[in-house]
Amino acid sequence: MVKAGIITFLGTNCERDTKQALEYLGWDVEYIWQNDKIEKYYDVIFLPGGFSFGDHISSGRIAKLMPAVKSLPVGKSLIVGICNGFQILTEAKLLSGALTYNENLHFVSKVTELEFQNEIIRLPIAHHQGNYTGKNGEEVIMRYKNNVNGSDDRIAGIYDRQKRIIGMMPHPERAVFEELGLVDGRKVFEFIQNEI
Amino acid sequence: MEKFKAVVNVKLKDTIKDVKAQTLEQAIHQLMPIKNIKCRVGTRYLIEFDANDKKEAEKIVRTIADEILSNSVIEEYEILW
Repeated sequence: MVKAGIITFLGTNCERDTKQALEYLGWDVEYIWQNDKIEKYYDVIFLPGGFSFGDHISSGRIAKLMPAVKSLPVGKSLIVGICNGFQILTEAKLLSGALTYNENLHFVSKVTELEFQNEIIRLPIAHHQGNYTGKNGEEVIMRYKNNVNGSDDRIAGIYDRQKRIIGMMPHPERAVFEELGLVDGRKVFEFIQNEI
Repeated sequence: MEKFKAVVNVKLKDTIKDVKAQTLEQAIHQLMPIKNIKCRVGTRYLIEFDANDKKEAEKIVRTIADEILSNSVIEEYEILW
């Protein structure tokens, strides 16, 4: 059984969606509080979506200073940042580049089409600072079919050179249950499971 | 200990597209017909603190600016005393 940890920060709001989605897939999931050092082993650690520390100063800027982030077992567990989690990973310099304000300055919240694993999938996005720039060696694993926020090269998700850290702006955890009308998130979690 | 007061101005690097500044330029054009207007948008932080001397104070502010107030990938800052 996959053992997953989900870091929660003040202002995180996608931790329950992520936990429910992972449990539906049969994973063993527990939360990790921002102030706790990570000492246990997890196959995969998620930094979920939300507004950590109210996005003050800049999205992810303050969360990167928390003990849970400082103690991430880089190179051991697979680390996955979703939306605000992606922003935290770039601010912590664990992934290169940065996520700036969307080109049209709007908060964008909708279902969008993405190129992922040689097919088109549909996932929700919801962000204000998703305009990615500055990739340096990472593999692009997900692209917007239509560039919704001005990102370089339509980038929606990247995977670091060592294949241990993933960042993505779309929300696969919101696309797992039939009742919500979208299930393509399962493909993303299957990909993650194969990468552990 | 001495009291210090620093001002840190943070803005996007000139190589990074500043969409807030573009919006500001459009707004100014709506307001009045100015030619060749160029804007950059930034944030100003005022920080007061105690330190042993100016050298230590500069180190403290630079650390705050590097770690919290700016992201060196896309932003640059200046410190004024």
